[in-house]
Amino acid sequence: MDLTILAYPFLFAAIYFEAFLLVTFLSQPARVARDRAVSTKTPTVAMIVPCYNEEKTVGGTVDSLLDLDYPADKLRIVLVDDGSTDTTGSVMDRYADNAQVTVIHQKNGGKHEALNAGIMASEGYEIVGCLDADSFVHSTALREMIATFDDPMVGATTAAMSVHNPKNMLEHMQNAEYILGIALRHILAAVNGIYVTPGPFSLYRRDLVARLGGFRHGHNTEDMEMALRIQRAGYKIDSAPRARVETATPRTVPSLVKQRIRWTTGFLRNMTQEYGDFVGNPKYGALGIIVLPLGFFAILGGILMFGVVIYQIVKEVVSKILVVSGVPFDYTLSTLVPSFGNGFEWFFIPVTLFTLLAIVAVVGSVLFIVVGKKISKTPADLGIGMLGYMLVYGLIAPLWLISSLADVATDTRRSWR
Amino acid sequence: MPFYLRNALIALLITLAIIATVLYAVNFLNEQRVAELRAIEDQLATDTLSIETQYALLAEAPCEGLEEGTSFATELGGLGDRLAFAEERAGANDPEVLRLKERYTLLQIRDYLLTKRLAQTCGLKPVTALYFYSNVPGECEDCDRAGYALSYLRQTYPTLRVYSFDYHLDLAALKTLIAIEKIEKEFPAFVVQGKRVDGFTTLEDLEGSFPKGVLIPVATTTATSTRD
Repeated sequence: MDLTILAYPFLFAAIYFEAFLLVTFLSQPARVARDRAVSTKTPTVAMIVPCYNEEKTVGGTVDSLLDLDYPADKLRIVLVDDGSTDTTGSVMDRYADNAQVTVIHQKNGGKHEALNAGIMASEGYEIVGCLDADSFVHSTALREMIATFDDPMVGATTAAMSVHNPKNMLEHMQNAEYILGIALRHILAAVNGIYVTPGPFSLYRRDLVARLGGFRHGHNTEDMEMALRIQRAGYKIDSAPRARVETATPRTVPSLVKQRIRWTTGFLRNMTQEYGDFVGNPKYGALGIIVLPLGFFAILGGILMFGVVIYQIVKEVVSKILVVSGVPFDYTLSTLVPSFGNGFEWFFIPVTLFTLLAIVAVVGSVLFIVVGKKISKTPADLGIGMLGYMLVYGLIAPLWLISSLADVATDTRRSWR
Repeated sequence: MPFYLRNALIALLITLAIIATVLYAVNFLNEQRVAELRAIEDQLATDTLSIETQYALLAEAPCEGLEEGTSFATELGGLGDRLAFAEERAGANDPEVLRLKERYTLLQIRDYLLTKRLAQTCGLKPVTALYFYSNVPGECEDCDRAGYALSYLRQTYPTLRVYSFDYHLDLAALKTLIAIEKIEKEFPAFVVQGKRVDGFTTLEDLEGSFPKGVLIPVATTTATSTRD
């Protein structure tokens, strides 16, 4: 039985989404956003750094904030130690003498509680930002992002994330993925289709966040929950593709899987519970009609495509082994690649509708990774990362997709770390 | 119309255009394959006619210049590989593939008969194997293995002439051959040097069904070295 037919709807959806991204990327709103100048306005900004056991990186995070190209009297840095059990608290206290810095120590209550403590401490500030304690901003990032708030309907804005100093294959792969994310957020912002304001670096109108009741647990995805609440309130979420921030990412497969299970279960729970009305709802425009339904479809597609590919490979290998058993191996070896046995023969190129559509989808992904790198001016060596992202991600992503579906179906809750 | 809906519609048109282009490309490639098959078949048909004509012309000295028998069994094998590939791509019921398969089957039967005539008239000793298979699901579990083993034998023993036939192909000449060779509906079935062999177990068994000494391996050269 040939199961590849099951993959066609997902290939169609992938190519359709890429075509939608391309059309939107070339449209006027996206072009205007790309040409947007760095802001000369300097509203008051409070940057909140929620921390839990980040003793190794929090110092670098704070230093990068202090190096921001922004008037010191307009920028407050609020460090919130969320009950760390390592020396994070004392590292933070080293900055307590700095006039720009406020340090808060509190009992561990989760990231959303730490953010809310920071919001409480930033009374009177126009903009609040969240910067994870393992992330490092570039000096012009804040001005780039502030420019998006010229539109009074913009309630939040996101930055251009990449991986900080990627070393191993997994980090390079995530770097390619994050740079793809830069392009996606830039493009989706043009149709107000963003549904996450990522923790590594996002800005919000403080009065809006306070009016909405601050951050919530949000099924361990407080950044997604807040973004959806902002969308529900009728505000837009923008993106500043040149506002560069580097963040640390998982270095091992288990830690990556754990992180992605948190993200995926957060998406599924938010979308099937509190924000179920978003999916397919024209009231939420591209977000409701295109982005969120395709998000669901992508989860199912990732699992199904993986199943189909594994089934086909196993089937082919088993039947090939049965067929060639008993025939000398050197003959089998010479027939493995019939196209090249006696020189190149185009006749035997295995071109099918499935392979060509898959190639189109992959080329589309590569194109948007290149776009992300170019518009953000991220100096990344993407060769190995893109290769890994294209070849390996599809094999490990089903681990977290299947686990997430199982967790949601069985109402299993996992800890953040 | 909202901006995003306009983009969504344009994206849909682009997607449909991409899929149409891909479908066209796949179809074009398949057509090119069929065209190549047709060209090879035309050439083989001409070769067959040429040999038959040559045979007729040399009625008085029929074996002069025909010591090696017909020469295109290898080409027939190559055509068979291509036809199998085209069949896999376009489907066994594709009318064009079926038509090509019928012509290919006819060519094989003509070559087989000609080879037999030359053997009788000129005293040549060709090594032949007829192979009958079935594509009906569940009818022949061992056909893939048998076909692969025959491909190996054909490559290892260049003098071996293998003729493969789809038992269920609706072709009068094939049905006559099946009747003459008394092939039952049990697959795979072979006729090795005129003797019927049913079923396939191992390559060794199949090899052993040929009379001793008739299979001559491809000539090989080996390098030797000496050490002082």
